Amino acid sequence: MSAPPVESAADRLLALHRSGQVAARYPEIRALLAGLPEEELARAGRLLSRLDPDDVLREHPAQPRVTIAVTGNGTLSGLVPLLTAELARHGVVLRPQVGDFGTYVADLSDPDGAFLAAGADLVLCVLDPAAVTDDLPTPWRIEDARRVLEEKVALLERLADRFAERGGGRLVLNTLPLTREITAQLVDGQSRAALGAAWREANARLLDLVRTRPGVAVVDLDPIIADGVPALDVRLGVYTKARLSPGLLAGYAREVGHLARQVVGRTKKCLVLDLDETVWGGVLGDDGPEGIEVADTYRGEAFRAFQRVAKQLAAQGVLLAAVSKNDLDPVRRALRDHPRMTLREEDFVRVVANWRPKHENLRELADDLNLGVDSFVFVDDSPYERGLVARELPDVAVVAVDDEPAWHVTRLLRDGWFDTPVLTGEDQHRPARYREELVRKDFLNSFDTLTDYLRELGVWVVLEPANEQSSARVSQMTLRTNQFNLTTRRLPPADVQALMADPGATVLTVESGDRFGGNGVVGAIFTHREGAVVHIDNFLLSCRVFSRGIEQAALSAVLRHAAATGAEAVVGTYLPTAKNGKVADFYPRHGFTAVDATTFRHDLTDIPPVPGHIDLTENLGGDPS
Amino acid sequence: MTTIDDFLSLIRDDLGIPLTAADLDLALDEVAGWDSVQLLSLLGLLERATGRPVSLPAVLEAATLADIYVVATGAEPAR
Repeated sequence: MSAPPVESAADRLLALHRSGQVAARYPEIRALLAGLPEEELARAGRLLSRLDPDDVLREHPAQPRVTIAVTGNGTLSGLVPLLTAELARHGVVLRPQVGDFGTYVADLSDPDGAFLAAGADLVLCVLDPAAVTDDLPTPWRIEDARRVLEEKVALLERLADRFAERGGGRLVLNTLPLTREITAQLVDGQSRAALGAAWREANARLLDLVRTRPGVAVVDLDPIIADGVPALDVRLGVYTKARLSPGLLAGYAREVGHLARQVVGRTKKCLVLDLDETVWGGVLGDDGPEGIEVADTYRGEAFRAFQRVAKQLAAQGVLLAAVSKNDLDPVRRALRDHPRMTLREEDFVRVVANWRPKHENLRELADDLNLGVDSFVFVDDSPYERGLVARELPDVAVVAVDDEPAWHVTRLLRDGWFDTPVLTGEDQHRPARYREELVRKDFLNSFDTLTDYLRELGVWVVLEPANEQSSARVSQMTLRTNQFNLTTRRLPPADVQALMADPGATVLTVESGDRFGGNGVVGAIFTHREGAVVHIDNFLLSCRVFSRGIEQAALSAVLRHAAATGAEAVVGTYLPTAKNGKVADFYPRHGFTAVDATTFRHDLTDIPPVPGHIDLTENLGGDPS
Repeated sequence: MTTIDDFLSLIRDDLGIPLTAADLDLALDEVAGWDSVQLLSLLGLLERATGRPVSLPAVLEAATLADIYVVATGAEPAR
């Protein structure tokens, strides 16, 4: 009943490799990698990168895939196996495109060149310090370094602009590590300090590109190096130009793995914590509320640090839940009344304390929150519980902590599970909205029929064009929403803004609320018009607000507006994925007829009404609606 | 790592390249699945396996896998 031992995960992978079965058994790989110690991951990556990704995708067409193009100023071939392994950890198949090395300027300058024209999801431009030092004269002075740094940053800014103009995909840059081999070449303290300052200013400007260019991500290498990873491999650098150390490339690949996760919309949403020995020290049932450690003692301070980080994540939109083998009342009392507790009952969207198997509790929690278990990150100190959850729910990311609580924070943050390109106003309110949602559910249970409930709920909907404030949220929904997402077109913020600026296209937001409060922006509809036909390019709705008639109200408004502005038909597309099956009949259910397997047409003669329980405010712009 | 068989299994199981003993004396560009990516990975693996530094210029100049084995282990050339 426990996780496979470490040996057997590595052996199993090797056996699959030897027998040529890795492609056929690819869906098993993610679980095997989760059981590997970190030092084994590089080898796994080398074995996996021997596969042709197209062989894997032919056998498993639903497997998510991400195309990554790699360029830079050094030799980067060693990065591909590391990326392969990191993406496979997330169940994502890597399709790598590796350019000639040292050609990043040419690669990124030419929008029609082979490198960019291939249309990768992520374009990695991996730079090492030689990007600067190769341009220094011999001998060089601080003024030379300042000049070269200025030129490089300006060059990268121009390349980022050109990339943005072209649209599509995300450009990934990185900060440049500064090593003693560079600083110590200047013997006077003033110049050396000035170099340190100028170098960091250049890095600061690179990091600022994330703010000024929405299509750019910058991986900050300093925090990886600060964890004790050498920045460079001097010998390999001298002889082969593979300058960045394997350890640093591994840390970099891990960050890219999380960017890839965002590309395929697999961002984690909910952090599920065990309680005894994970959130607090000791066992509540044995030690009592006075006996558990949450502050002030040596171990207590370690748990307090962990609780503070959980609260920090929750403040940025991560849903916090507790699943613990305990009786509920003492747990609630401890969270409510313990004078030194950092996390409180209201920080959790749900506290589950009972004696049932944890995977059952997790499944139920997912249903209650209307989320997939694949959006869960589960932290537990018990190998038994972790093993059981990993086996029963392989889509849950399982984070291992142990009896040394000083490492809890490091372990939790080791992977950027909840990383997102930009936070929106919605994120801060998300935990509160999900808590309200659970209250709604209880309210629902007090009614005999759904219709009675909906009437009492007082649902209101506002449908209007996306604006500057809502555009980031619209992008985020395209990236995060999997279930009610008709075509699963992922749109980074820059792409949403481009559509908003396009006079031929319309981006609508759906905002809703009810007697329990506002839900915020919960949906988006993308349309464009070709002659007398309005095309719905995508229609998506947050899983929080399914099945309340909101989708029908919004669709009804779009159809009526099309008819009122002289359209003859509205055509919608449904592209099936592994997760959007519940909306397969969305168009047929609302009077569309199938043109082919993915295209549906409404002739606007019999438009479905706005459900009676919904108060709809619409502002679709242009002609009367 | 001491024997040529250890060397072969390192390449087979850590780099994932299905080599046979017959590949050892082929010119590197004739070895199926071999490229410079593997060479860099192999360097690190060899140093870990032998527990001593390997001369990079000598490995980079090696013409065959057998040559690399000799450089890494200091063994007598087989021929």
